[in-house]
Amino acid sequence: MFKKLGLALTFSPTGKALIYEVKRLAELFGAEIVFIHNGERTKETEAKLNTLISSIELNNIPFTIEWTKGDVADTIIQKSQENNVDLLISGALERENLFKQFFGSVARKIMQEARCSTLILTTPSNTPKGFKKFITSGEFSTQGESTILKTFEFAVRENAEEFILIKDIYAPALSLTIQEGSSSDDLETQRKRWIDEEEEKMKVFVKELGIKGLNIKFKCLYGKEGWASSNYARLHKADIFAVSAPTKKIRLIDKFFPHEFGYAFEKLPSNLLIIR
Amino acid sequence: MQLTAEQITIFLVALTIMLLAAKFFSEIFVKLNQPAVIGEILAGIILGPTVLGMISPDIFEWLFSQNEVALSIDSLITLSVIFLLLVSGLEVDLSVIFKNGKSVTSISSLGIVFPFIIGFGVSYFFPSLMGKEQTGDHFAFSLFMGTALSISALPVIAKTLIDLNLLKTKLGLIIISSAMINDFLGWLLFSLILGLIGAGLHGINFIYTFIFTLLFVIFMLFIGRRIINILLQKVNNKLSFPGSSLSFILILGLVGASFTELIGIHAVFGAFIVGVAFGDSVHLKDETKEVLHQFITNIFAPLFFVSIGLKVNFISNFDFVLVLIVLVLAFIGKVVGCSLGAYLSGFKKNDSYAIGFGMNSRGAMEIILALLGLQFGLIKESVFIALVIMALVTSLVSAPFMNYFIKAKNKLNFINLLNKNRILFSEKNNKTGVLGELVELASKELLISKEEILKVINERENSFPTGIANHLAIPHAKINIEQPFIAVAINKNGIDFGAEDGLPAKAIILLLTPENNNELQLQLLSEIAHSFSSISNSLEIVNSNSQEEIINKIKLLSNAKASLTSASSRQL
Repeated sequence: MFKKLGLALTFSPTGKALIYEVKRLAELFGAEIVFIHNGERTKETEAKLNTLISSIELNNIPFTIEWTKGDVADTIIQKSQENNVDLLISGALERENLFKQFFGSVARKIMQEARCSTLILTTPSNTPKGFKKFITSGEFSTQGESTILKTFEFAVRENAEEFILIKDIYAPALSLTIQEGSSSDDLETQRKRWIDEEEEKMKVFVKELGIKGLNIKFKCLYGKEGWASSNYARLHKADIFAVSAPTKKIRLIDKFFPHEFGYAFEKLPSNLLIIR
Repeated sequence: MQLTAEQITIFLVALTIMLLAAKFFSEIFVKLNQPAVIGEILAGIILGPTVLGMISPDIFEWLFSQNEVALSIDSLITLSVIFLLLVSGLEVDLSVIFKNGKSVTSISSLGIVFPFIIGFGVSYFFPSLMGKEQTGDHFAFSLFMGTALSISALPVIAKTLIDLNLLKTKLGLIIISSAMINDFLGWLLFSLILGLIGAGLHGINFIYTFIFTLLFVIFMLFIGRRIINILLQKVNNKLSFPGSSLSFILILGLVGASFTELIGIHAVFGAFIVGVAFGDSVHLKDETKEVLHQFITNIFAPLFFVSIGLKVNFISNFDFVLVLIVLVLAFIGKVVGCSLGAYLSGFKKNDSYAIGFGMNSRGAMEIILALLGLQFGLIKESVFIALVIMALVTSLVSAPFMNYFIKAKNKLNFINLLNKNRILFSEKNNKTGVLGELVELASKELLISKEEILKVINERENSFPTGIANHLAIPHAKINIEQPFIAVAINKNGIDFGAEDGLPAKAIILLLTPENNNELQLQLLSEIAHSFSSISNSLEIVNSNSQEEIINKIKLLSNAKASLTSASSRQL
């Protein structure tokens, strides 16, 4: 699955916890680790980084250290590409101030622009316990298939207790049809019918993928696309909320008017796995 | 000034009669499957100068024309229009618009520019043709007519799309998003025209009005919207729901309306923009919106639509030629503009026409715009009537035209794809044999070699067995075709297709779908599985003796199931 894990490593208070997390994941996947640090490479900083990494027993996990200079997110993305990293891991705050949301924090930029899958950890721990509850968005597309398959495999390796496949449906202006004679009951019936149809399709979709090994639950929600499932993941305390990477470049206007998983990027509902 | 007890009584009696008549006629029209608004306008025509004013001018005068009472009714109507625009704004979803960017920009820009140019051009160069009097501001009249032709009615479009089962499809989303932009730009344009003619607060320079309007829009969409989102969450969570959130929306709506009135544009625009800012909030719940819609649709909207008939004599001001000209220009402008926009953004011809006719409906928004135009002296009564009739006609014909152009699309379901020539009774005793029969049928019809079809079918079959349950198997694959293909083999002995319940397949349904349409394949697979959802259903179908009987039984069982699951959804 993931054979090379990249870790965007800083000297922040969570740096050590992130190494513990990535170590556990490397053992889970049988992967090697690429530590990527952005900063001036001096004898002092090198010694500091080595001390930080060696303070954690990595057993026999192969690892390399990459130093970068320049724009933090850009260089981390570039180094991860050069090293063929297939899962880039980074820490992030669950909420950021407005300026960072629009004009970029490192984690935000990595989420949106990395060329490989990314895992953003909101609360890394020095004693990681593994992820037990996976919630995955289930889009009926080739990319959606890949997201479900990879997340499912991840969940199987973790021996997860819950794997929930989630899909949002939304019909803008539905309420407005009341002006044209629809009743609230009509709208409720319509929403229920759509939900039932989508859940049927989700079951067929999963059957088509031929995945087995965990009990999969299906949940179709009526609400703004991206927001409804992201909010569900938050309320149901998912360990991992997995989504497909955006297919289009996220423009500044999309940050002001988020849609789909822009909501999850704006306010992380849990640890966020973005599959590319 | 205070109303006397007699005036209050007259005011209350007038409101009672207006609401009663509106409800009576709107219910008749709803029963006839026609828009309620026609009944409400008809109620106004009967109560107004056209009928009651002719039969009994004294009663009409006593009820609706006494100064203080008329002023009170007018104030209530102004409030109704503000609320109508507020709830319309609630449904403008900016995130949906930006998600569907390219096509929406193309459709909505041509859908505004084209009718605007036509409306403006004809009014400017041939004013008498468009019912323009010699007096008044010629330029403002032309601008108004351009705007009046370019507006779209979101509620009518949404209802039409639901009726055609398209609201949740890509086509539906594109139409709705384009209508949202249309609405937004239309009202912005109209407000600026009112600012230009100094119809708002006198003494404010148009440049200032323009700058204030832009600043207001930018503030509400970029900052106000976020503040509202945060506050609405707190109101929902910490105060009584939905009462407090309803009050919060109405209060801010009135604040927005007051502000835009103050800066020289009409109050409706402020209410509309506040509605847009609320509509984008992820914390705006459907329950809240629905209560608001019910409240405004059943109380304020009828009052407003009845008031239209009270203001104008629909017989003496009716100008057939003018109505015809406005109708023709409205159709040409909107249908050609939007269809062209859709075509240029990559839609096929029929879908483009469907979008054009969908966007053509003007509904209540046009009537509100026309009434404001009349109130501000931009148009005279005959133009007003022509615009009201145009609004009603475009709304009425929108659904049938859309239906006509998307007919082909609607056929893509399991029932409609069944064809007696593609149903065979098989005697084969193994999977290879029955698949061979079905593939031969497909090969002849699709003009694709048997080997090619068999290859994709077997690839799918080898990766995971396609036996479903209840004696059903659906061998399927995606292949290079335009339209899906279904063929059915009935094998009464049954053949093992690896179903989880261990039962041999007696109904084997070959399903081939276009390569690039994952969702269609899932939809058809789930519909087929639905029809065979119990052993008794399956056996009833399998035990049929003819192709026709099979199709009839599948239809019957599917309809029975559908009516059970959606017993009360008759209108939608």
